[in-house]
Amino acid sequence: MTADFEPRITAFVCNWCTYTGADLAGTSRLHMASNVRIIRLPCTGRIDPLFIIKAFERGADGVIVSGCHPADCHYTSGNYHARRRFAVFHDIMGFVGVDPRRMTFSWVSASEGAKWKDVVDQAVSNVRELGPFEAYRALAPEAVEAETVGSPGAEVTP
Amino acid sequence: MSDRYFISDADLRGLAADLLGAGTEVIAPVATDICQSPSAIAASACSLDHSLVDIDYRALGTADQLDLSRGLPQLSLKGYFLPEHEALCRWKQKGTTTEVIEVPTEFAPRVVLAAKACDAAALEVVDKVMNWDYEDELWNGRRAATTIVNLTCPMIDDSCFCTAVGAAPDDVKGADGLLTPVAGGYVYEPATDKGRALAEANKARFSGDVEADTLGREADDERAAARERVAANLEIDAASVRDWIDTHFEDPLLSQLAIRCNGCGACTSVCPTCHCFDIVDEQEGVGRGTRRRCWDTCQAPTFTLHASGHNPRDDQHVRYRQRINHKFAIYPLKFGEVLCTGCGRCTRVCHAGQDLVEILEAIDIAARRPGDDADPAADEPAEAAS
Amino acid sequence: MTEPIYTGVDDLRRIARELLEAGDVRVIIGWEHARRGARPVFVSDPAETDKLIFDTRCVHNLVTYLNPRRDAVAEFGKIGLVVKGCDVKAVAGLLREAQLTRDDVVLIGVRCGGVLEENELPAALALTPENVAPRCYGCDNREPTLTDHLVGEPQPEPPRPVMTIDERVAVLDGQPLEERWAFWTDQFSKCVRCYACRQVCPLCICERCIVEKTQPQWIESSSHPRGNFSWNITRAVHLAGRCVDCGECERFCPVGIPLSLLNRKLQHIVRDRYEYTVSDDPENAAPIGDYRLDDQQEFIK
Repeated sequence: MTADFEPRITAFVCNWCTYTGADLAGTSRLHMASNVRIIRLPCTGRIDPLFIIKAFERGADGVIVSGCHPADCHYTSGNYHARRRFAVFHDIMGFVGVDPRRMTFSWVSASEGAKWKDVVDQAVSNVRELGPFEAYRALAPEAVEAETVGSPGAEVTP
Repeated sequence: MSDRYFISDADLRGLAADLLGAGTEVIAPVATDICQSPSAIAASACSLDHSLVDIDYRALGTADQLDLSRGLPQLSLKGYFLPEHEALCRWKQKGTTTEVIEVPTEFAPRVVLAAKACDAAALEVVDKVMNWDYEDELWNGRRAATTIVNLTCPMIDDSCFCTAVGAAPDDVKGADGLLTPVAGGYVYEPATDKGRALAEANKARFSGDVEADTLGREADDERAAARERVAANLEIDAASVRDWIDTHFEDPLLSQLAIRCNGCGACTSVCPTCHCFDIVDEQEGVGRGTRRRCWDTCQAPTFTLHASGHNPRDDQHVRYRQRINHKFAIYPLKFGEVLCTGCGRCTRVCHAGQDLVEILEAIDIAARRPGDDADPAADEPAEAAS
Repeated sequence: MTEPIYTGVDDLRRIARELLEAGDVRVIIGWEHARRGARPVFVSDPAETDKLIFDTRCVHNLVTYLNPRRDAVAEFGKIGLVVKGCDVKAVAGLLREAQLTRDDVVLIGVRCGGVLEENELPAALALTPENVAPRCYGCDNREPTLTDHLVGEPQPEPPRPVMTIDERVAVLDGQPLEERWAFWTDQFSKCVRCYACRQVCPLCICERCIVEKTQPQWIESSSHPRGNFSWNITRAVHLAGRCVDCGECERFCPVGIPLSLLNRKLQHIVRDRYEYTVSDDPENAAPIGDYRLDDQQEFIK
């Protein structure tokens, strides 16, 4: 089962740098793991830690948050605010027992297609090693309910 | 009809074991600890004794978990009939069609042992609203499937006042039978067919007619003594309290009594009669989800928040007044029963110092005050509350 | 060994009476002795100021009544508030976040040498390692500066509790991830979602809490472990760098979730990363909402 495990990773990226960087990785035809679903937001400053919690709730095995390098923020300081917020969130999630390797934070600029590939490959490989985030799924309401609802892993059909 | 049995300490445990052996769920007071994680206890990461939760109604894993040596369970029995949250239905959407999956409304038989009279009585009080304009199948299903055996309560502390609101520590209201401690065990008195059936089905654990013997008298004495102890805590005239509240909606006394309330709602969580719930749709990914109901509280600002943004109960003292009003006036006027069984949990759990004993006393005094022309009921002769 | 009844109660009553008589404030919010122990009291009649007490049972953080949500309290008019050193930090928090103007309130500070963990007692007790509120250990605000009046003698440090909160946090920090996860999910699973922690928090000031948003619903409101995890983490994170460690959330929690451990860990995080300690100086900007160009970013690739 674990051998066949394909991690599901949600990436929250900023519109100006990382999204464009990811686009560059694509147009440059870089081969990278295909486990990442990207959600584009205006800025890392717009990314609430709740997004990460929500991603785990909905069955993500790992999360990536990525945006402009310090000093490059399109809105001047969004990434600086995000940096503090995610530092706190990263540490407190570790304190309650979430493996920090499930959460990847990175700065990827519009010209760093190759770095995006590395970030993705590394995140996927980390999460692959950790296995499915069953511990979080076990928090779901009682099995009798979950049974009909279906396991998050099987959630493919629209 | 011989309707009093003796059951020894060992046989009561044996009864629990027999029931568990037969696959029946048995809910009873179980000693608990704030730290449930063994590793945390071992590491002493948590020794917060001030909020030590030492006894609660739990489904027994084994009969020896049954613990009759401690006080009032932290939460009432309410959660076993109206869970903190439960699925009402699930849905799946495919294209333009929606499939609704119902939840079962029939439940396996289960037995509650050593319930407090206040907790069992609360169920019967709440039965009224659960079968008023709509028959709540989930509530009724669980009620029908459950046999409740009370244990005469010795009284917990000076916040108990069941006798002031028409209940009693040895009441069988809402229950199917009563155990009263006597030398070497308990006298068991069934109160309903379900209670009799429990004794019939487990004959080996019960022994004969104790009606006339010393054990019977001992049980009677214990019951009377318990009632007397509780009655000393608070005596009010529930009818005049009801009428005073009903006619003094804007009386400043009510807001004075409520001012320190922080609106935390803990009182409603622990209350055996508070039954308000909210219904929420929780989505599980795309096109499917679960409709659940979960406990709600009149102490929360959003409880009455209108879609327009207007909130008729826009401040905490008003919300507290609502709680008092609902329990001691609205419900009695509508259903003929006080929505309170005097367990005192709200007082004990309140860290802001809201004290229902004191509040009822204050209202009772106001209601008895002569010449209060705003209150026509005050002139009526006072009648005993119970 | 400290005295159970702190000095300065006579001064406290006198100042309260004078403030009310002069019309400088319309109500004094302090503590009184009641049937089940000490509790908050609202005194608006100068003749009733003798009700006011201050002893080791006065654990309540009365700043929660200054919360902008509390309309009925505001209706009294100008408030005189009795505050301990820890409570004053919450006033500073409200000032810092523009929820209060300094002229709205007269602060009567009481010099405090610690409070009891369990306050529902017929009489005050002297503090011992067994009975002291663990959060009092290491108190850094026994001489508050933000107050208008300060009564009582300077107090010695509170006794060291049998186990400090820092030691408890350290125990958890030393555990493997799986054990921490088991511990916290176990604790959170007890949550009945009454939101008492939020209601009593002097700094939970949102007009509309995120947990009450239903369209979209960010935090599931039924009390299953998944919704509880989201709620408890979110509550904690929203107080990062803002929590003043008054302990009211944990004290009010009807199911005994050890929220002080979570709050303390967050204090460690902002201390270690941003050299920030919550104080009673409203000019001292909170760490979240502020930044420095050279903030640590070792967790970012």
